[in-house]
Amino acid sequence: MKLQKRSKLRIYFDVLKILREELNQNGHPSLTRVAHGANLPYDRFRNCLEHLIQVGMVSRGDEKLIVTDKGCEFIQEFERITDFLERMGL
Amino acid sequence: MNTEILVISEFVSVALALILVRFFVKAYRLVRSAYLLGLPIGFSFLASSYFFLGISLLYEDGVAVSDSFLWFRLIAQSFGFALVAFAYYFSSKTERATKYILGLITFASVISILLVLVALIVVPPFLEIPCVNVLDEYFRITNLVFLGYVIYHLVKHLKPSNGPTSGFVWAPSAFSLMWLAQYSLLIWGIDGSQAAFIFAHIARLVSLILFIRIYYQSGRARE
Repeated sequence: MKLQKRSKLRIYFDVLKILREELNQNGHPSLTRVAHGANLPYDRFRNCLEHLIQVGMVSRGDEKLIVTDKGCEFIQEFERITDFLERMGL
Repeated sequence: MNTEILVISEFVSVALALILVRFFVKAYRLVRSAYLLGLPIGFSFLASSYFFLGISLLYEDGVAVSDSFLWFRLIAQSFGFALVAFAYYFSSKTERATKYILGLITFASVISILLVLVALIVVPPFLEIPCVNVLDEYFRITNLVFLGYVIYHLVKHLKPSNGPTSGFVWAPSAFSLMWLAQYSLLIWGIDGSQAAFIFAHIARLVSLILFIRIYYQSGRARE
């Protein structure tokens, strides 16, 4: 079966979601595990993470990564839109 | 039905359709799948068709102007429903197929604009074109086919295995109401039934409200 290519925003959503889950479960996320969970090679994951930090969705605090309110809003909005499309039968 | 009420119902429909356009643009910007473009463009055409019907009602005394707007409405509405049906058709195709959609949408837009221009500018001065109401029925039948396909697609892809399904019933219901609205207008065109005419307007408004409801229900716990 041919896998569908993910959009950039879909990748950011996957990274943010897994990062938040890791933070909630372990308090200190393992970046390798997040990269693995988001199905990304580590170098691409680092680029993605840098971008998320630049746009203010993730912040570095006390050597720990935190998903900001902006990041949480993005996750919520993305989930709403995908659920909306699913309910619309798309 | 009172003309003022009709005009208000058309402009309310325009507002509701534009709200839906905004939601679909948002969805496209997040998901970036080409097939999704069919929905915002389709609903924009539908909004413009309601707008032109509203305008034609305001200029009812000037028959030529009113007829021109009615022509615009007919084409915009059928094109809108066609685009929505295209979006559903291509939603189950591979990403490669969707590359052709953009070209198709652009091509179809150009063709429809040309048709409208022909209907508005070229045809009326030289020819006594058939009354718009005669062709109205053929356009309505086309709309019924497009909407019928969307309903068929939705019912076919309904996912009863995904837990409670009531959340997934609203989209087929909304499209069914749109289908009924078109069907009622077809009946009204044939026998002039006022009840069918009033029902068509109510059904259309309710269907647009249902689509908006689906958006606001999304992301919450499923019913």
